[in-house]
Amino acid sequence: MKLSGYGCIFGMGLQNSMVYRADFFLSLFSCLFPVIMQVYLWTALYRVGAADTSGYTYEQMILYTLLAGITSRIVSTGFELEVAQDIKEGGLNKYLVKPVNYAGYYFARFLGGKAAPVGFLLAVTAAVLAGASAVLQIRVEPLRWVLYGVSVILALALNFSLFFAIALLGFWLTEIRQLFGTISIVVMVISGGVFPLDIFGPAAAVLSAVLPFGYTTQFCVNIVSGRLGMQEIGTGFLVQLAWIALFTALHTVMWKRGTRRYTAVGG
Amino acid sequence: MAVIEAEQLCKQFRYSTKAKGLQGTLHNLFERQKLTKTAVDRISFSVEEGEAVGLLGPNGAGKTTTLKMLSGILYPTSGTVRVNGFIPWERRPEYQRQFAIVMGQKSQLWPDLPAVDTFELNRRIYRIDPEEYRRTLAELTDLLDVGPLLQVQVRRLSLGERMKMELIAALLHRPAILYLDEPTIGLDILSQRAIRDFLRYYNQQTKTTILLTSHYTADIEAICPRSIIINHGRVVFDGPLAQVSEVFGHKKLISLRSRQDLDPQVLASLGLVREFTSNTALMEVERDQLESCLQQLLGRLPVMDLDVKDIPIEEGIAYFYQRSGEAAQ
Repeated sequence: MKLSGYGCIFGMGLQNSMVYRADFFLSLFSCLFPVIMQVYLWTALYRVGAADTSGYTYEQMILYTLLAGITSRIVSTGFELEVAQDIKEGGLNKYLVKPVNYAGYYFARFLGGKAAPVGFLLAVTAAVLAGASAVLQIRVEPLRWVLYGVSVILALALNFSLFFAIALLGFWLTEIRQLFGTISIVVMVISGGVFPLDIFGPAAAVLSAVLPFGYTTQFCVNIVSGRLGMQEIGTGFLVQLAWIALFTALHTVMWKRGTRRYTAVGG
Repeated sequence: MAVIEAEQLCKQFRYSTKAKGLQGTLHNLFERQKLTKTAVDRISFSVEEGEAVGLLGPNGAGKTTTLKMLSGILYPTSGTVRVNGFIPWERRPEYQRQFAIVMGQKSQLWPDLPAVDTFELNRRIYRIDPEEYRRTLAELTDLLDVGPLLQVQVRRLSLGERMKMELIAALLHRPAILYLDEPTIGLDILSQRAIRDFLRYYNQQTKTTILLTSHYTADIEAICPRSIIINHGRVVFDGPLAQVSEVFGHKKLISLRSRQDLDPQVLASLGLVREFTSNTALMEVERDQLESCLQQLLGRLPVMDLDVKDIPIEEGIAYFYQRSGEAAQ
């Protein structure tokens, strides 16, 4: 299929996400609540001096919380259950008979479904940051915003390829809904989506540098917060690309082997 | 020229059983007995270009599994298939552009969007020229009479309307081969007839090769001059459906209504009584005894209405199902 085909799927994913208005607006606003709660939590912890935060000032922590909440929401997936259901209940049939790449199809649909909420989140981010920079006295170079944008695009591709590979486990494990619930919570935490992992000390910092998860959220946020130098940012991009290549290769192999096992249940 | 050639095609599935109750469930957590089910058992057949062939068989006979292998959804356990020279499960785009599959119980349409959006997507997937797409879409919507429904969200369509949209989605790229898996399942009589008439017309006009599975004999009779009956994964009959009823060609059915109550013993002396109420009966007689039987019935009974019929085709099909079932055991 040509690129315009994937553009069409993107458009349909976008339309699909906006069909049910109440659901659409609720999904937009629901992502703000956890961030607001965390801001209150950190404010309370800093006020009583209970937070041991490895060098994060209150302002940096609040900025991190705001950006991590928004970034993790931008890169979050959610399609994995649908893929697993397709495998379990035979919905995959309609893709297997068409000249279309299933991973590409889902990625275009995933991006299309994300476009409207992400647009909204970016507008909120801009407003929040404008307010926060005035209140928290934080200034971010424009170049870092550009690099942040690049890192988020790569993080989206990385998170997609990671969760797509996990979803394809459905070829071997018939029922994996519980696995998704557990994995998404664990990934949310170890990607730095809730708090920066380096507050747990150097070992956690090393782990987050070695494993792919930190490159979906914490790395992106640290570009803006100024905790990473330009060289580290360049290395980070290369690591993101390497993980994308690795997980893409993995899910390509899983797809080839999995579709041989596929039983296509149901009429 | 043969378009589809299947040789010794076989598909086995692995599955496990579970004993009843909680104990069985707990046992199942640690140990499962693996069993093998042969869904398709070394079947061979070929289909010529432009032919419409019906695949008949009871539930679990292997019809849908056969279609899934022909369309490349499933890999076979053994055997070979060539469709227009392609091996289906290699899933080459060149082959995928040559066929379409419609499954009565699975939808390819996006449920929350109007069907026309899925059509547009298929136009891009199959790289259909925009002008040709417009012409084909207009022709198909006209034939199936769904023009005003194109903009309606798919989940708001009736089952019959949705099936018509599924057919349009499948035919937009003008496939040379069309696989249909129970396309009229669950539809009302009028919708069944509309789909049936459309498929017959489409096959005759475009010479598209059709392979159709259905439990409705009327579908097969209307669309397919040739039928293949599959049971227990094996071909048990291959030929025109009319030949199926020839197994009972030496028998006739007499439907009878009398002005007075009938005597079952008198009827039994003339033939096999299949159904009986006080003044009606359905009798099965040998064809060569039909004339004398009718003479006696009309001479001895106050007959109000009488009808002579062939044994229904469904009974011929059931005979093949049963016979192959006994052979398999």
